[in-house]
Amino acid sequence: MAFKAKYFDGKTSKTHHAKVTINSLQWTICYMDDESPLQVNWSVEDIKKSDVFTKGFIAFTHGKNFPFQRLESDDVNFISFISNHDNKNFNRGIDTKLHQSSKKTLVSLIVGLIGLVFVAYLYVIPAIAENFAANLSQSAVTDFGNYVYRVLSPELNIDDEKSKKLQGFVDELEFDTEFNIEAYVANSDQLNAFALSGGKIVIFSSLLEKLENKEQLVALIGHEVAHIEKRHVLKNVSRNLSGAVFVSILFGDVNSVTAVLADNAHMFSQLSFSRSLEKEADIYGLEIMKQNNVDLNGMPELFKLLKRETDIDIPSYLSNHPMLKNRIDYTTTLALEQDRFNNNYDLEEKWNDLKSLVLDYEEDKLENENSENE
Amino acid sequence: MEVIFGNPSTTKKIKYFGKGSEFAIVYFKNIILTLLTLGLYYPWAKVEILKYHYQSSELDDARFQFHATGMEVFRGFIKIYVILILLYVYLLFGIQSQSEVMTITAASLFYLFFILIIPLAIHGAVRYRASRSSWKGIHFKYTGSKKELFLVYIKGVLLTIFTLGIYSAWLQVDIRKYVLSKLKFGNVSFNFHGSGGQLLWINIKLVLLFYITLGIYSFWYYKNLWRFYIDNTSVTQNGERIYLSFKMKAGDVFELLVVNFFLIAFTLGLATPWVAVRTLNFFFKFSELEGYVDTNAIEQSTYDDYDDATGDDFLDFLDFDLL
Repeated sequence: MAFKAKYFDGKTSKTHHAKVTINSLQWTICYMDDESPLQVNWSVEDIKKSDVFTKGFIAFTHGKNFPFQRLESDDVNFISFISNHDNKNFNRGIDTKLHQSSKKTLVSLIVGLIGLVFVAYLYVIPAIAENFAANLSQSAVTDFGNYVYRVLSPELNIDDEKSKKLQGFVDELEFDTEFNIEAYVANSDQLNAFALSGGKIVIFSSLLEKLENKEQLVALIGHEVAHIEKRHVLKNVSRNLSGAVFVSILFGDVNSVTAVLADNAHMFSQLSFSRSLEKEADIYGLEIMKQNNVDLNGMPELFKLLKRETDIDIPSYLSNHPMLKNRIDYTTTLALEQDRFNNNYDLEEKWNDLKSLVLDYEEDKLENENSENE
Repeated sequence: MEVIFGNPSTTKKIKYFGKGSEFAIVYFKNIILTLLTLGLYYPWAKVEILKYHYQSSELDDARFQFHATGMEVFRGFIKIYVILILLYVYLLFGIQSQSEVMTITAASLFYLFFILIIPLAIHGAVRYRASRSSWKGIHFKYTGSKKELFLVYIKGVLLTIFTLGIYSAWLQVDIRKYVLSKLKFGNVSFNFHGSGGQLLWINIKLVLLFYITLGIYSFWYYKNLWRFYIDNTSVTQNGERIYLSFKMKAGDVFELLVVNFFLIAFTLGLATPWVAVRTLNFFFKFSELEGYVDTNAIEQSTYDDYDDATGDDFLDFLDFDLL
């Protein structure tokens, strides 16, 4: 059986219309050049089929050394002969199958791709990122926290005297933590507090001023220590970064609108993760309070206080913290279950010390402001 | 110089046979394999995708062929990643040392590397792509010298700095001129005739008209830019020079870009293979070679078996595609 093909001899670009006859050892290519018949033989083991599938077209090259000869054909008989050939060099089974029922293949590839992306984004990447955060050595975590603190501290107005008193209060408490807890007070009007990886806690002075009793302060410290002990900052950062890198690799090149959509979806999922960490810190903070025999009601009281002091309670899906109303509810439920607690007088003393220093400072500040205004 | 010897003047065009649904199979298969192997498969994916487009493009009843292998491209990527990781480690070391001298040295070295490597990467990339591309059994060949291209580039970069960026139009044109003049296809050679001034004017018009027209001028800008690149390219065989032409209007650009945009945005990128096929169809549909070339009389010259894909990979890393 002879097939129609175009033959290129590799020396010039001349197109030779040829007939190809195939047997098990060699292909015979016959063509006319300047009215004289010519014949070329290709040994089967040196023939290479082009390794990409395009419908209605096949091509082969032959030769060990340059220049390579080439055959191209759109002869349907040739194509069907090759696609039924059992020599693996001519017939990469998978590709032929993939293109045979192309609609089915396409649907399964798209479904497979979407599934793969979701599984990777929802399970594989977060698991790897959190595993990394959980297994990073203690000293590396502390180094990371110290680095962040070094960058932040020039902007934080750290008050050494108050920090010392706060540290005294913290030292009265017991924690099961691998890190050494260092507490700082920053003079600021913001109602805020935060924890850094590796053991540093920063509480803003106005929040301290608003606190009514030592239980609320233990609740606040317990919450922040929980972030440190559970390595929340590191988990959050590594999860956020790895997810963002994944999203930008997939969609960054696609186009700007898609990239914005994907980034926003990632932000919402990240906020939900932050909220779950906050809740975990609340619950673990209660554990710390229990361990120190402190009245658990300090935690819901702290949230009530924050709710009074902040005008709006942001709906949780837009925030990295759960709504205060919910936090009050679930911490109250847990506080009700507590059967006993003590009043730790040493702790009370440290609390009074700290509180009077904070109040004195605020009074001085007010006086200064008034005198300036006058 | 244009010489016409009375040969029959014909118009040649590349016919593109790619189909969105067919290319999508190739594309998604490769994306999935790349994801599953955490990116290790990318070189093979890239090669197969290029092979598909080459084999789907036909000129004078003969298809193009891309001869690269995934392994060659993979080796190039390994080289680049080793160099980049070393540079990064050095940069991090510099920043960590908290010494200003160390930080500045490391950062300068880092940026200098990226600036100086570009001409070498272009050289490597063009030479590799040319060596691995053939049509009718004849291979392309890049005969440029690294040193000459480097000098063209350095001169352009320095003048760009001194002219506060204005010279960058000439820099782009100079590089294109050099690279095309050294590209050979048997006894066929190529040239670029555009000037930096023309490119600068195209860019100035964009700056002047973009905001006034609320961005609508971009379609004319792309029309002008693409026509500038394609219309100014010539092909010379046996002393006869003929020009490429790109007969397209701003409306065609509008249709291409707007439809592509919506296809991608509404499918979150799943329409990418269809968009690739549409785009190639667009460029081939409007590009013509006007004049006579004897496509049966091109003789193979010696083979430049250049298997180093590092330059090509580096441009890929910078998201900068040839052609």
